Amino acid sequence: MSSLISPVRVESTGGLPSWLRRIGGTVTGWPAFYRAQYASNPRRVILLTLMVIGIFVYPIAYQAVPSSITRALPIPSSTVVVFMLIFGIMAIGLNIVIGFAGLLDLGYVAFYAIGAYTAAFLASPHFGGLSIVLFSDLPAGFPGIHLPFSVILILAAAVAATFGALLGAPTLRLRGDYLAIVTLGFGEIVPIFFKNLVNVNFSFLFIRLENANLTGGPLGINPIDAPSFFGIKFGVISGWAPVYLGLGLVIIAIVIARNLERSRMGRAWMAIREDEIAAEMMGVNTVRTKLLAFALGAAFAGCAGALQASYQGATTSDFFMFSTSILVVIMIILGGIGNIWGVLLGAVVVQYVDKTLLSWIGNRLSDVGAATGLEQLGRINPSTFSFLLLGITLVAMMRFRPEGFLPSRQRAAELHTAPPGEALGSSALFEEEGVIEELDPTEPGGEEDPEILEAPDETPGDQEPPP
Amino acid sequence: MDDQFLQTIIIGLSNGLIYALVALGYTLVYGILQLINFAHGDVFMLGSMIALTLLTAFGVVPGLPLLNTVFLIVVVLLITMAITAVLNVSIERIAYRPLRNAPKLAPLISAIGMSFILQNVGLLWKGPANLGYPDVIPSTNILTSVFGFNTDLEFTFKQFFVAIITIPLLLVLMWFVGSTRQGKAMRATAQDPDTAGLMGIDVNRTIAITFVIAGALAGAAGLVQILYNNTTVWNLGFRFGLNAFTSAVLGGIGNLQGAVLGGIVLGLINAFSDRYLSAQWTNAIVFGVLIAVLVFRPTGLLGQQVADRA
Repeated sequence: MSSLISPVRVESTGGLPSWLRRIGGTVTGWPAFYRAQYASNPRRVILLTLMVIGIFVYPIAYQAVPSSITRALPIPSSTVVVFMLIFGIMAIGLNIVIGFAGLLDLGYVAFYAIGAYTAAFLASPHFGGLSIVLFSDLPAGFPGIHLPFSVILILAAAVAATFGALLGAPTLRLRGDYLAIVTLGFGEIVPIFFKNLVNVNFSFLFIRLENANLTGGPLGINPIDAPSFFGIKFGVISGWAPVYLGLGLVIIAIVIARNLERSRMGRAWMAIREDEIAAEMMGVNTVRTKLLAFALGAAFAGCAGALQASYQGATTSDFFMFSTSILVVIMIILGGIGNIWGVLLGAVVVQYVDKTLLSWIGNRLSDVGAATGLEQLGRINPSTFSFLLLGITLVAMMRFRPEGFLPSRQRAAELHTAPPGEALGSSALFEEEGVIEELDPTEPGGEEDPEILEAPDETPGDQEPPP
Repeated sequence: MDDQFLQTIIIGLSNGLIYALVALGYTLVYGILQLINFAHGDVFMLGSMIALTLLTAFGVVPGLPLLNTVFLIVVVLLITMAITAVLNVSIERIAYRPLRNAPKLAPLISAIGMSFILQNVGLLWKGPANLGYPDVIPSTNILTSVFGFNTDLEFTFKQFFVAIITIPLLLVLMWFVGSTRQGKAMRATAQDPDTAGLMGIDVNRTIAITFVIAGALAGAAGLVQILYNNTTVWNLGFRFGLNAFTSAVLGGIGNLQGAVLGGIVLGLINAFSDRYLSAQWTNAIVFGVLIAVLVFRPTGLLGQQVADRA
């Protein structure tokens, strides 16, 4: 009966091993701020500390170890890490659209492409007839437009957001799956435009184009200036430096998304997601709110696209396919829809499996094949199975854990109990199947989410009516 | 009207009829579940691969006597339809039925996952290359060889074949949904599943039958694709499926006659865009049409009131 009188636990360490807790607790020489944070939430602080240490130790360790060893282990190279971060930004942005506002966007890659081509137009010798060189280490008079990366980032976000608003304005009154299809169509059209605008003959007022090569066609635009700050280049050839640029952008994205989530707009998004009609009754301007979610989500993808194009130094339309949109959706669903840390985890895991683990398995299989004489083994290329795996993952996740691995608590509760009227068929019809498992919203199976505990009054009713 | 114009219409109609077969699958499922069955285009793709395999296995080659060819094609048609019907109903059982009570986005995402799975099944089975099949049905011109007209216009045996396969199937479907007891159950379930269940209709069975019909139509379309367009590839289902879905939306999703009309209109749009604009813009035009219809007339050409439900 001792369990009945066990003392009330003040701090929850969420199942961390005890030795780790001890290490975290004994670091007494650390600043008071750190210790205060640790006292309030040891789990989060320990995880963050480990992440920060890992981020600085990993590149050093990776470079210190000879390449024959790094190649033999399934560990991500700098390019893979940068792509984890690029897709992390995309996942955070798409999470605003799908996770916060509940709008399914299947053409997210369009904004990624728009961002990439914005960077390509504004930082490359592509428009050789012009010469606009601003704040760049290139000499004045260098052919083409060359703007600094920070400006490009802002412009790419702005252009993508504008297109997001342009697409959203007429289509956001459509609901659910119709919106999904319209965005899908948009996601297909944009790359077609980038691919085909090669020999443009166009004349309107004073604009006159004759056989103008606007987008480089199927070849794309190449080269694009690498991002450069204070004379340091962050291109694909600069090794691990771009990782820190990407990391900086991801942190900015996290801060913005977190603040948006807790802002009045964030609560309005949640209200719309849960019940659009009720939200409208409560005075939420649904059109403006949804449009803002769409445009902001697009801006994140624009930044990610600009980073990708500048980092790789090239962009082609073939890079922007429907499967890329779905890849980001999978990251969100896998990681935990609605939760920023969850979707980041999803981006890291999906990129890791797709770009590192599968090819590593392929190499090991061919090693084994060569050693044992089974040549069939060597011919299996697991990378071709990546979308099979992702498809199976999607179906399985929807069936067994629709809220993802690190779910947002509210989202998990919503996904387990459909709102009345949304689901097909009465409960009686499905009783024998055991499909309906009522989930008590006050007691979700998932882990504790400190965000929700801090702000328990996140209900649409709290909002003041907009002015 | 010049010959080129009429010729474009004939090409558009033939392709449009294939779109109509697949579009019916989308519209049937949407009508009853309000679910965009993303995997449907890929069922069509697998249907075309199954048909290709069976045609090869049965030795259907150019130059067989006419009767043998017709008999074997009918056999292949029936087997393909049976296989894709079973496939489609299994998909429903695995990926959609457990999500009946989930929020609407869950089955949609599950359908996208299923689509990727089926594409990869095709990829693993037949490899990444385009697969061709020789012209079993001659592409000789009926107008000159049979009727003896003196014209440049071409209406080939292949195009005639498309019509004699698809039009009866469309008519049988209309009759089935409109005039049989099971069809009535389907319409009732589409209108209001709860009430239909209370009236003694087995809703799950009705939904399964809908998927059987949709799968069979996709299989038939797959065979026609192989024999008319002579080609298939693992990712055919995505673009073709989007075209077919656009047809369904164009006609008014949930409406059977609308899907057929939409398919034909979309076939014509495709053919005219290929001929008079440029093939590289055709996809953009199709999606432009899709977006324009959804934005300005979400009920489609013949639609009922579905915009609110969507």
